[in-house]
Amino acid sequence: MEGMHCYINGIGIISPQKTFDNDEFLNEVTIYDQNVLTCITPDFKKYVNPVQLRRLSRMLRIGMTAAKISLQDAHIEVPDGIITATGYGFLDETEKFLRELLEREEKQLTPTYFMQGTYNALAGLVALSVKCTGYNNTYVSKGFAFENALHDAMLHLKENKFSTFLVGTYDEAASVQYVAGMREHHYKEGRIINTDLYKHRTPGSIMGEGSAFFSLSGSPAASTWCAIQDVRIVYTPESEEKLSDDVTSFLNVNHVNQDDIDICISGLSGDATRDIMLENLERAMLKDTPHVYFKHLCGEYTTAISFGLWLGASILKKQVIPEAVKVTPGHYPSHVNTILLVNQFMNRSYSMILLKRFNQ
Amino acid sequence: MSQRVFITGFGIITSIGNNTEENFQSLVHGRCGFGELTILETIHRNTLPCCEIKLSDQELHDLAGVNTGRGYTRTSLLGLIAVQEALKSAGLSKSELREAGLLSATTTGGIREFEKNIYNILDLAKDGDFTQFTDTANPGEHCERIADYAGIKKYIATVSTACSSSANSIMQGAQLIKNNLLDIAIVGGSEALSKFTISGFNALMIIDSEHCRPFDNTRKGLNLGEGAAYLVLESEASATRRKKVPIAELKGYGNANDAFHQTASSPEGRGALHAMQQALQTSNISSSQIDYINAHGTATENNDLSEGNGIQQLFGSKVPFFSSTKPYTGHTLAAAGSIEAVFCVMALQHQMIWPNRNFVHQMPELSITPVKHFKENVKLRHVLSNSFGFGGNTSSLLLSSV
Repeated sequence: MEGMHCYINGIGIISPQKTFDNDEFLNEVTIYDQNVLTCITPDFKKYVNPVQLRRLSRMLRIGMTAAKISLQDAHIEVPDGIITATGYGFLDETEKFLRELLEREEKQLTPTYFMQGTYNALAGLVALSVKCTGYNNTYVSKGFAFENALHDAMLHLKENKFSTFLVGTYDEAASVQYVAGMREHHYKEGRIINTDLYKHRTPGSIMGEGSAFFSLSGSPAASTWCAIQDVRIVYTPESEEKLSDDVTSFLNVNHVNQDDIDICISGLSGDATRDIMLENLERAMLKDTPHVYFKHLCGEYTTAISFGLWLGASILKKQVIPEAVKVTPGHYPSHVNTILLVNQFMNRSYSMILLKRFNQ
Repeated sequence: MSQRVFITGFGIITSIGNNTEENFQSLVHGRCGFGELTILETIHRNTLPCCEIKLSDQELHDLAGVNTGRGYTRTSLLGLIAVQEALKSAGLSKSELREAGLLSATTTGGIREFEKNIYNILDLAKDGDFTQFTDTANPGEHCERIADYAGIKKYIATVSTACSSSANSIMQGAQLIKNNLLDIAIVGGSEALSKFTISGFNALMIIDSEHCRPFDNTRKGLNLGEGAAYLVLESEASATRRKKVPIAELKGYGNANDAFHQTASSPEGRGALHAMQQALQTSNISSSQIDYINAHGTATENNDLSEGNGIQQLFGSKVPFFSSTKPYTGHTLAAAGSIEAVFCVMALQHQMIWPNRNFVHQMPELSITPVKHFKENVKLRHVLSNSFGFGGNTSSLLLSSV
């Protein structure tokens, strides 16, 4: 995707940490001991019309608010396009409708849960609320939804670099998914403290959720956080060599040497069985690069990479590396210009995002 | 840099046929898939007829050539069958497939299997055959299944924008090709009927218990259907390299949002107009060059009024032939966009127009009338295919003969 870079000109993120206030940057870390991390939310009324708010499910409120914060941060009223990404959608609403239909034997159902469970409900509602009649799309590709959405937006921005696309994720820590996921050891058996995630070398991760919206443009603004230089996905690489070849070619295409990478943000999930390939890659290719982790703070979910993108954008903008994400002993650079974000989901979906500092 | 995007293969399965030839024969002979449900178990079997594919899951496994017990949902199986036909018609090799992308669309993925097994899945004390469907509430699951079967590695994506989903997966596949990120993209969508969808649309009170009547003044709603269709999109350079004669060209596309209501379109058809205009602009085709529109035409009161107004506004007094093929296949939701894109390609290939069945009474709000009878030997060069959905999503594809 050479020559496709874009700028992050606004962010709104609601996550299991207090991230909705862009003036703060992990000043305090919230500790969880239940293996399920849920969002710390702002006062929604400050962002969403109270009449509309009453009709929205929890996750729609979170998503709408994150979208609004992002647009405010970018000083944009109406974006040119809206793209959302989710792995499992509004699974709580889907479950409610499903249970109702089974319990009432398909009789006398109301459509609210059905409507609010639709994957594109958030993209539609955001469009409706800001009256955006432009491009609108929603990706639901398990571990790649956000990366697909970024590609889509970046292709549009390439055509018109002065336009702005609002690209956001949402995924909720739905109980259905937690229980179903336990069958496939997606989550750890014993309860752990989230900040100890990487100390437990056991199968499974911890469950997270969140919504992160990025206002992207082909041109920078006073509010620019950083530049996204490139995004690449690698689907089910058959070997570590294949994965490492892809990372190398990704860096080469973007004219970046390994020495240029100031920090690697790693999407290791703390799952001893699913992290192996990414761990080995980092050990082999990026062993001299300082690392930061993030899934102990937001939990694992299909679009968790968007939390990683917020982390990278924040480090580049604020030139601060919070203690809570430092995992490698020793030296962290005082100036950060280039960040490589690498992620894995379920040891099937691998992706890389290259970020560059933008000097105002 | 901008590559032309050709269609070099396609595959389809709907209630009117298990492959291209069967669908073609049904369209020509006016056979519709509408009738009582005999495969899906639901209390609405006799009261809310649908356009159901009359093959059991076992028969679909056989048709797809895969074993049961491996977690293939009905959505995955329908998708797989259509993709297999598409790959065969495009003649793609293993190495070409590795470097290809798969962009699929669905609104509910494997919810049919999930709804059947939810109580068992959520009871961790239980074990059994149902565990193969543990992750089927995930909409992207079917896409990974199909990609893994076909050996597609380079790019995968699943799109879900309600009833316009597969128009958008087609569009994004074309974007990736135009920008030289892919040479070949297999694009489309798959949708199986489920209690979940039937109950949802029934609760919204937009299902007609009789055969649907698009653009007719007595229309009362849609009939749900199931099916899958995939097209092989290919860059001009790749088709030339493979010495593959293109079947048609995807010349343009538009995607807009109506921003009117969560589940309704603006009566004046803003979004529809906007999407069709964009499709014309991106392809440098004027409205007078459009020979046929395959309308979204769901037969809900709201859609047909909105779409009809959008068409009238765009084409003024020179409205091209248009029809909705929903009476044949039912509304196949996420798969509708790609199924109808395939019908458009077939219309271009054979220079035929599939009629808007069940149209009798003119809508007083509109001055336009859909094509009522099957037409042969019509000159079709450029056609539009519309797909609209909840959430205000409106998309339009412009397909041309080559």
